[in-house]
Formats: sequence, structure tokens, C-alpha cells
Amino acid sequence: MVKKIIVKCLFALVLVFLYLPILWMIIFSFTNTPSFSSWGGFSFDAYKELFTGRDSAAIFEALRNTAIIGISASLISTVLGTMAAIGINSIRSKKAKAVITSINQIPMVNSEIVTAVSLVLLFGILRTFIQLDGQVQMLNVILAHVTFCTPYVILNVLPRLRQSDNKIYEAALDLGCTPTQALWKVVIPDILPGILMGFVMSFTLSIDDFVITQFNIDGFQTLSTLIYLKAHGKKSLPASMRALSSIIFVVILGLMALINRKPKNKTSKQGAYKK
Amino acid sequence: MKKRKLSGFTRKYLAIPYVVFMAIFVVLPLLILLLYSFCETRSDGSLSWNFTFDNYKTIFSPSSVQMLTRSIYVGLLTTLICLVVGYPVALFLADKKYNKSPVLVMLFMLPMWINFLLRTLATKAMFEAMEVDLGMGTVIFGMVYNYLPFMIMPIYTTISKIDPSLLEGAADLGASPRKAFVKVTLPLSLPGVLSGITMVFMPTITTFAISGLLSGNKISLIGDFIDLQVVNSLNVASAMSFIILIVIGISMIVVNKYDKDNTSTGGGLW
Repeated sequence: MVKKIIVKCLFALVLVFLYLPILWMIIFSFTNTPSFSSWGGFSFDAYKELFTGRDSAAIFEALRNTAIIGISASLISTVLGTMAAIGINSIRSKKAKAVITSINQIPMVNSEIVTAVSLVLLFGILRTFIQLDGQVQMLNVILAHVTFCTPYVILNVLPRLRQSDNKIYEAALDLGCTPTQALWKVVIPDILPGILMGFVMSFTLSIDDFVITQFNIDGFQTLSTLIYLKAHGKKSLPASMRALSSIIFVVILGLMALINRKPKNKTSKQGAYKK
Repeated sequence: MKKRKLSGFTRKYLAIPYVVFMAIFVVLPLLILLLYSFCETRSDGSLSWNFTFDNYKTIFSPSSVQMLTRSIYVGLLTTLICLVVGYPVALFLADKKYNKSPVLVMLFMLPMWINFLLRTLATKAMFEAMEVDLGMGTVIFGMVYNYLPFMIMPIYTTISKIDPSLLEGAADLGASPRKAFVKVTLPLSLPGVLSGITMVFMPTITTFAISGLLSGNKISLIGDFIDLQVVNSLNVASAMSFIILIVIGISMIVVNKYDKDNTSTGGGLW
């Protein structure tokens, strides 16, 4: 009994440790003091500042860039990753499969900073061959994001494909579907939850990314690089950035809670199928 | 039978775009990284093809060695604290006696998904509120804060996969709960511990910006060094990155080896 209380205390303490700073940031986004140490009364000033203040043009610009990059990167990753997963699942050569899945893991296990530097080098070399200017600069960041998002799409889609019965696809072919029709009418609907999950996860990873974006960005800002720019070398985070950080916290935590709500009972299903 | 083979062929080709993409954006950049780490850049920005170890010598020069040892010190201390706090949390989370809801597990994992910049700024806000002076202590605190979930997750996963009948067996054969833990749970959880250690130690020493933000730019680690070198010398940045890559590669091989013995023996592909 005593032990149970001690364990509960341990859980509570660690959870407080994990969430207190985040809560602190959110609480202090509702007051308008220059520092975090004194409470200046409840107000929406930080949010007003964020949406209408001096920096609001830069913030909306960054928001727009983040959204463009996030949507493009997650769409490309989802298409590329879903195709790849279907392909990988039907490859019979164990060796080829092992090689592709191992390389697919590199962006997930590699240190973010190594991925960032290696992409800086790649884009530096590509730039000597292909000149892109102005708006198209964003392409670098989008491609960099596709690089680390696609493995997560595959991670979500591949188990779904393993669960789904290959015989249904074959039956569709036997009943006169072309492989493309069978793909659209049988395989895709079957793995759709995995595809959607992969899409949401890619979008979350993309809008949340800082290191790889910071290294590869050139001439514009996303939300995270803007926050870094405003926070770097300053004693206290400006009020508008507190509000922005709080919004990102809530959005990311909400999205992830949404994703993580489901897959609990799927793992057992997957296990049952493996045999 | 013929038809089946044909259909297998068509679907297989769907992997080609991604294989090409990976070749260009995953494999090629790492090869360029290797190449750059052994070359020099001329003053006009082009690469000279002379093979050289100078970039690696720069990394191990006396001025950088201090930064390397500091990084390893921060990494080891952070990993140790995460292990001491994270192991019991993971152990009790996996124990049905203490935790029945998956929501609690999710609460421990959720912060992993927020980028470390925002979490670090949040901790900085806390320190400011409590008027704590920024320095080594705050850097370590920030690192533990950022990476603790990465220790809890793999340990929790391995412990919850342990067959409960093993513990029942140990109890039936007269082992006290403490002895059963030492003889059964602890050894079986080691792969999780190992992967937790790699998931905390490597990111801690290679992370960029946390140490700067939480020490008032007084303490710089490997990640900050790379950030600086990307501007100064891409070749030195490449050499440092390549060393990190090798260390990660080796630790992944070790982790996979341990894990294979345990979990994925029956997990054939078909």
C-alpha cells in the first residue's frame, strides 16, 4: 500500500517536471510583463501583440512559410512513402528488402545535426548546377523535410499492409481488375488509416522541425527559426514569442494526442497476423 | 500462378521513386560528407581534391579537446540521471499493479514530439522565474528535461514485452519479488536500457542551441561547434559530423544485436 503511494508520487513528480515549464510558458503568455518572474495581471496583450504588433508581418510571413513547407512536405512524403511501402511489401528478395528498410531508417536514427550538415553540402553542390532564385529557395527546406518525414509514413503504412490480406488483392485481379484498379479499390482503402496517420505525423514533424530547417534555410524564416532568432542572445523571451510558443505547444500536443489515441489495439491484431 | 507473379512485379516498381529519392537525399549527402571531411576548400569556395587529415586534426586540437570532453561529461551525466529517474518510471508504468491506463504512458511520451527549442525556452523561462543563474547546472537540467522521455520509452517497451509467466515462475520457485526483479526483469530489460542510453547520450552531446540558450552562451558543445564550423569551414563540420555518424552507426549495430536475441527472433518478414 505504502509502495503504491510512493509510486504514485514518483509518477506525479516526473510529470510535473515534464509539464511545468510548458504550463509556465502558457500561463505567462496571458500576462504582459517583460520577464517571467513577476505576474502583471491577466491579459491577452501578448496575443494581440502577436497578431497586430510590430512583428506581426514577419510572424504571418513565417506562419505562411511554415504552412507551405508543412503541407507540401507532408503531401509529397505521404505519396512517396505510401508508394514505397506498397512496393517494399511486394518485394520478394529478402536482401533487397533489408537494404531498402535499413537505408530508410538512416534519417530516423541519425543525429539531426548530421542530416542537416549533409544536406547543406548536397544543396551547396546542387546549387552550382541548378540556379534557383527567390521563392523557389523554399524547395531546399521542403526536400529536406521530405527526407526525414517519408520514413515515418512508411513506418505507419507498412504494418497496415502486413495486416491486410494479399489474397483480396489477388481475388480482385482474378475478378478482372487491372493492377491499378485493384490498388485503388482494394489496397488503398485498406491501408487508408495508416496513410492518414503518416500524413498527420509528417505534418507535425515538419512544422515542429528546427535543426534541419535552421541549417538549410536561406533568406526567409519559419516559425521555429523566427522564435530562435528572437530568443537567441536575449535574456527574456518577448511576449509575442511566448504567445506563439504556447500556440505551437497546444497544436503539437493536440495533434500527437490525436495520433496516439488509436493504435493501442492494433498492435495485438498485428501480432495475431504475424504467425 | 503466372498472374500472381506479374502483379508482384507491378507493385514492386512503386518503390522505385523513393529508392531514387533516398539515393540522392540520404546516401549521396553522406558520401559527400565523407569526401568533404578529407578535403580542403579553396578560398574561392571550390573543393580542392588533395587528401588531408587536417580537418580531423583540427577537431582533436587542444582547443577543441576541451569542448569534446565537456560534451562527453554533459552527455554521461545527463544519461546517468535519465537512467536513474527513467528506469523506475518505466518499470512501474509497465506494471499492471501500478498503472492500468495507456493515457498515463502517453502523457510521459507526448513531450518527445515538441521540438527541443521550444521546450528549452520553456525551461529557460522557469529558471528566469526562479532567478537561477544560468550555467552548467541549468544546462544539465535542460538536457535531462529534453531527453528523459527518450529513456523511459524504450525501457517501458522492453519491460512490457516480458512474459509475466516468467515472474510467476520465479515466485513459484521461491524467489522474493526483489530477487525475481534482479534475476528476471533486470537482465531482460537491458536491451531497452541500451537503446535508451543511445537515444539520450548521442542527441545530448550533438544537440545544438540548448547549451547556448541555457548557459547564456557560456557553454558550447559538439552541436554548437558544428553550427559554428558550417560558417567557418564546411570541411571541419563534415569531419565532426562523420565522427558522430560512425559512433551512431556502431551503437545502432550493438543495440540491434542485443535486441535480435530477444524480441525479433520469431519476427520473420512473411
